[in-house]
Amino acid sequence: MENKRQNMFEFFRGFVAIAIAILVAFILILICADDPGKALECLLVKPIISNGALNAKSIFTIFARMTPIIFTGLAVCVMFSANQFNLGGEGAVMLGGFIAAVIGIYLPLGAGVHVFVAILAGAIIGGLVMIVPAVIKVKLKASEMVCSLMMNYVIMFIILHFLNNVFADRSKGATQTYPFLDTATIPKMIPNTELSWGFAIAIIATIIAAYFMHRTRWGYSIRMIGINESFSKYSGMKVGGIIVLSQVIGGMLSGMGGAIEMLGRYKTFLWLDLPGYGWTGITVAILAKNNPIMIPFAAFFISYLNRGCELMSIYAGVPAEMIDIIQAVIFLFFAAEHFLSGTRQKIVVKDAKEELQKKQLETAKEGGNA
Amino acid sequence: MSDNNDFVVQMKGITKVYPNGIAANQGVDFSVRRGEIHALMGENGAGKSTLMKMLFGLEQPTEGEIIINGEKVSLSSPTVAISKGIGMVHQHFMLVPSLTVAENMVLGMEPKQGNKLFINYKKAVEITEEFSKKYNLFVDPHAKVRDIPVGMKQKVEILKALVRGAKILILDEPTAVLTTQETEELFKELMHLKEQGYTLIFISHKLNEIKQITDRLTIMRSGKSMGVHETAEITKEEISRLMVGRDVVLTVEKEQAQPTDIVLSVRDLEYTNDWNKKMLDKLSFDVRKGEILGIAGVEGNGQRELVDMLFNLNVPDDGAATVNGKNILGRPQREIRDMGVSLIPEDRMTFGIAGTGTIEENLMSDRAADKKYNNGPLFNLKAMHEDSDKLIKDYKVLCKSRRQQVGMLSGGNIQKVVVAREFSSEPILIIADQPTRGIDVGATEFIRKKLVELSREGAAVLLVSADLNEVMELSDSLIIMYNGKIAAYFEDTAVLNDTIMGEYMLGLKQQSAEEIGGVIHGK
Amino acid sequence: MFEQLINMVFSASFGYSIIRITSPILFAALAAVVAEKGGVVNIGLEGIMMISALFGVLFSYWTNSWLLGVLGAVVIGILVAMIMAVFALKLKTDIILSGIAVNLLGGGGTVFLLYLFTGLKGNTASLTTPNMLTPKIHIPLLKDIPVIGQIFSGHSVLTYVAFLLVFLVWILLYKTAMGLRIRAVGENSHAADSVGVSVLRTQYIALAISGALAGLGGAYMSMYYSQSWNIGIVAGRGFIALAAQAMGQGEPVGAMLASLLFGFASALGSKMEGMQGFSSYLVASIPYAVTIIGLVIYALSTLKRVKRFRDKAK
Repeated sequence: MENKRQNMFEFFRGFVAIAIAILVAFILILICADDPGKALECLLVKPIISNGALNAKSIFTIFARMTPIIFTGLAVCVMFSANQFNLGGEGAVMLGGFIAAVIGIYLPLGAGVHVFVAILAGAIIGGLVMIVPAVIKVKLKASEMVCSLMMNYVIMFIILHFLNNVFADRSKGATQTYPFLDTATIPKMIPNTELSWGFAIAIIATIIAAYFMHRTRWGYSIRMIGINESFSKYSGMKVGGIIVLSQVIGGMLSGMGGAIEMLGRYKTFLWLDLPGYGWTGITVAILAKNNPIMIPFAAFFISYLNRGCELMSIYAGVPAEMIDIIQAVIFLFFAAEHFLSGTRQKIVVKDAKEELQKKQLETAKEGGNA
Repeated sequence: MSDNNDFVVQMKGITKVYPNGIAANQGVDFSVRRGEIHALMGENGAGKSTLMKMLFGLEQPTEGEIIINGEKVSLSSPTVAISKGIGMVHQHFMLVPSLTVAENMVLGMEPKQGNKLFINYKKAVEITEEFSKKYNLFVDPHAKVRDIPVGMKQKVEILKALVRGAKILILDEPTAVLTTQETEELFKELMHLKEQGYTLIFISHKLNEIKQITDRLTIMRSGKSMGVHETAEITKEEISRLMVGRDVVLTVEKEQAQPTDIVLSVRDLEYTNDWNKKMLDKLSFDVRKGEILGIAGVEGNGQRELVDMLFNLNVPDDGAATVNGKNILGRPQREIRDMGVSLIPEDRMTFGIAGTGTIEENLMSDRAADKKYNNGPLFNLKAMHEDSDKLIKDYKVLCKSRRQQVGMLSGGNIQKVVVAREFSSEPILIIADQPTRGIDVGATEFIRKKLVELSREGAAVLLVSADLNEVMELSDSLIIMYNGKIAAYFEDTAVLNDTIMGEYMLGLKQQSAEEIGGVIHGK
Repeated sequence: MFEQLINMVFSASFGYSIIRITSPILFAALAAVVAEKGGVVNIGLEGIMMISALFGVLFSYWTNSWLLGVLGAVVIGILVAMIMAVFALKLKTDIILSGIAVNLLGGGGTVFLLYLFTGLKGNTASLTTPNMLTPKIHIPLLKDIPVIGQIFSGHSVLTYVAFLLVFLVWILLYKTAMGLRIRAVGENSHAADSVGVSVLRTQYIALAISGALAGLGGAYMSMYYSQSWNIGIVAGRGFIALAAQAMGQGEPVGAMLASLLFGFASALGSKMEGMQGFSSYLVASIPYAVTIIGLVIYALSTLKRVKRFRDKAK
């Protein structure tokens, strides 16, 4: 890779951000855990190793929990790459899950086809709703952020309306739908774990998204527009159309994530609130620096910490919600452009100086040859 | 010393070298007498803005000293400059549109009510009215700035400086945004200020205006002072000769042009900007295959607007422009490019590149969707890499590899990336807008050579440049723009010299319609 | 059925609910107005409200005084806003991302903090004593007027503060030097800078005020509305406030009207729960949908000018 030293520095910066977050976690644990040693073990080791052996079940849980946030992370990658702060991922996830659920319950289709249609429908509806903030932004220059935030709530209430007034299974105490048909559930990848084949789809989606963003003209246009819209327009790209495309793809990924989470993990639709994956997706995308191929790693990291916090709450009495504090700290430092900027400046200057020396050497050589 | 008392401003031996190595001022001496209107003249890039930025504390000189009222000062910020009685009226107004005139006036020095918490708005209005009356600068204190005309905005800017105690006012091309009528009004007000003992530094390159209101003038060229003169004792022609001219005459070797068919045809292009200033006035010309048509002129005479129209970055009020007979006005950039039009944009950082993208990504921006670079939905990376490497080599872009961030390159290398892209798309028409501004000599020479080469291979070239050397040496024929119109057309640039150029560029002369009509080659 | 609805809407208790529901949104909307005027998008309002709501309860529990609790909530609101400001203004974390991080803190972080300070999990219902809740104010004379008294009297002291703040924020923005500077910085920071107004300092102050206002909104939620703190307590009100700000075109009074619209729609939604033939959920979605429509209409009006130039292309 180019600019090796600067890349190393970026890596170092990320590392420091994570280290600070873990340090914060340590301090919090020291304050509130009865047995800090045990709590730390739960957070850092137990998710994968318990009693000296690999904890397979826990590892599969980590993978299973990665599935939805890989999708929303990818969605944020694509949407933010076009420099659009679209926060509609939440709504698209919930809607995708809901539509997939409805199809999974009411539209009897053959095995194989059914689950496929349900997931596809989830993706399509997710993409369709994103047209709203995208077009409003492109055509009217209105804030996509406020619009998408509001849209999340509109979607949530409409789903709750249909859930309560149309699709509810009145025989149950809680508000939920009838169970999905067997043909619509995503089979487990490993029996008796949470891990479904949805995880495999997420990995495939990652690869496709990575190719899309870096190996196709559309992904390329999205990235260029994100860097410099005027340049892209001047270069002859259809800026408005590409922005809408990027948001629709983000919506499709979110919707698909919702559908897969719903059909892979649950038996009935029972989300009564926005599921939160959209927000986690933003953290994941920030950690991955908007690079699709890094998304699963970032998702693994978050999922691992999540699992660690969960175990900590079970075995050491530290509330699992500590994960949010860790996430917030990482998030803030990771996205801070000027964090350690002094050091970066030194590296850039050093690089530039070396470059200059090299250049002078070369010209001297050329001069000598002439 | 009594001598010093005569001068309110003395800048001695000022040299300014920017971090990128460009020496904008070299040993400039500049002094202004108390109570005079002093013109600071020069073409764009002559260094007058840099000099004034140092006087207003926006930049610090690398060498030299500044003496205000006989006292040597270090102007480290505008706040310091203001405290020394220096005020500046920027070309781009520093006003807050939704605030009223009175609020803008007192921003940062708000009069308070007795309790120190609330603004005394009445007092602010009083101050505004008092100054407005005293200096004969009529403004409406209660009007919101966004609702008032440009002329009044400028008055607010002047009053803002006065209310902060400025005794020396720097006016940066104040008439550039004004209509003739507003300009007349401004001059009356400036004379009034002068009568009250204020010292005015007036940046401009409009000869008539300078002659009309200034006492003395300093001319700058290429970062150096060309001397100080009493306005009354110097002719317009002399000013023109001092201001417009080349220090070194570069010669570019090129074969005689053999122009054939008309490629670009512009007819009666008209455009009035948002401030009601006519920027393009019935502009008509043709560019033929195989020739370089230069457009010379002091900046701000409609060149930028013309280029914007030709690449649909703006839309004219009236007129036509065609490439090979097909309309290009208001067409999407994709379509314009597909017709074979290339543009080297004046503002290369805004339009020319995506700074954090790689060199390769920047080279491919206009052609990434081409069949050649795609295998079905995927990029043909091999073809892209090959062509990028070839372009980097052919255009001598100094870099580690195609994967380097383009924004990290030097100005000259960035421009080479832009040029490599624009020249390699087999263009039939190249619009080159200030193609070598602010870049190193090596890159400049390289780009100029390429431009000539392409034209001799059959491309039509429209070269817009404020650089006399460039526009006179590269162009086969040349038009000079003044006030949105063509002031002169020269079929053969060989007959030209700096003096003739200067006289047309500064509006001292104007060719007849018949002479100008020569640039229209079609029926 | 329809008649039932009409009767309900025109009942005094409905008016009372509107004001009760509007109050917290109004605090946050004013917070959004001040930040936005200073050129900062405060998307962290949701998180600030959550954190302040928690600390309001905790401080009042520790001091056994609702007043100190409210003050604590305000101080914490300012503190969180300042953390956001340091990251956004000094370390150059994107302001929207800083806000999202604060929301993360507010989401799960508060549950953790609650445990840290009290050992409680999930809610503070067990802590609540009457002294900790902000008192209701029964306004003399007004309370005896039929209907009007029932609507406007008997609210939390903070409700009156909220509506008073509409006026105070307006005064701040339009009658004080600080307000003038905030508006100048938000609109043209170069202009402010050129006359010696520190852009950074002004934005810190705007965010601090914004944090204080959001803190009051949080305190209202936990120390009056819900009578205790729990994880779902703010429920998107911080985001609604952003929308109210946008719909109210960034002005205090406009934001108040937009907040009242939200209050009206949610009051309607909650009253209609269980009523035959109406979906309380669809009614609840109205304010959000209205916001989107409001944004579109506002954007259309500003676009007209640009259109004029487009037409010239013909």
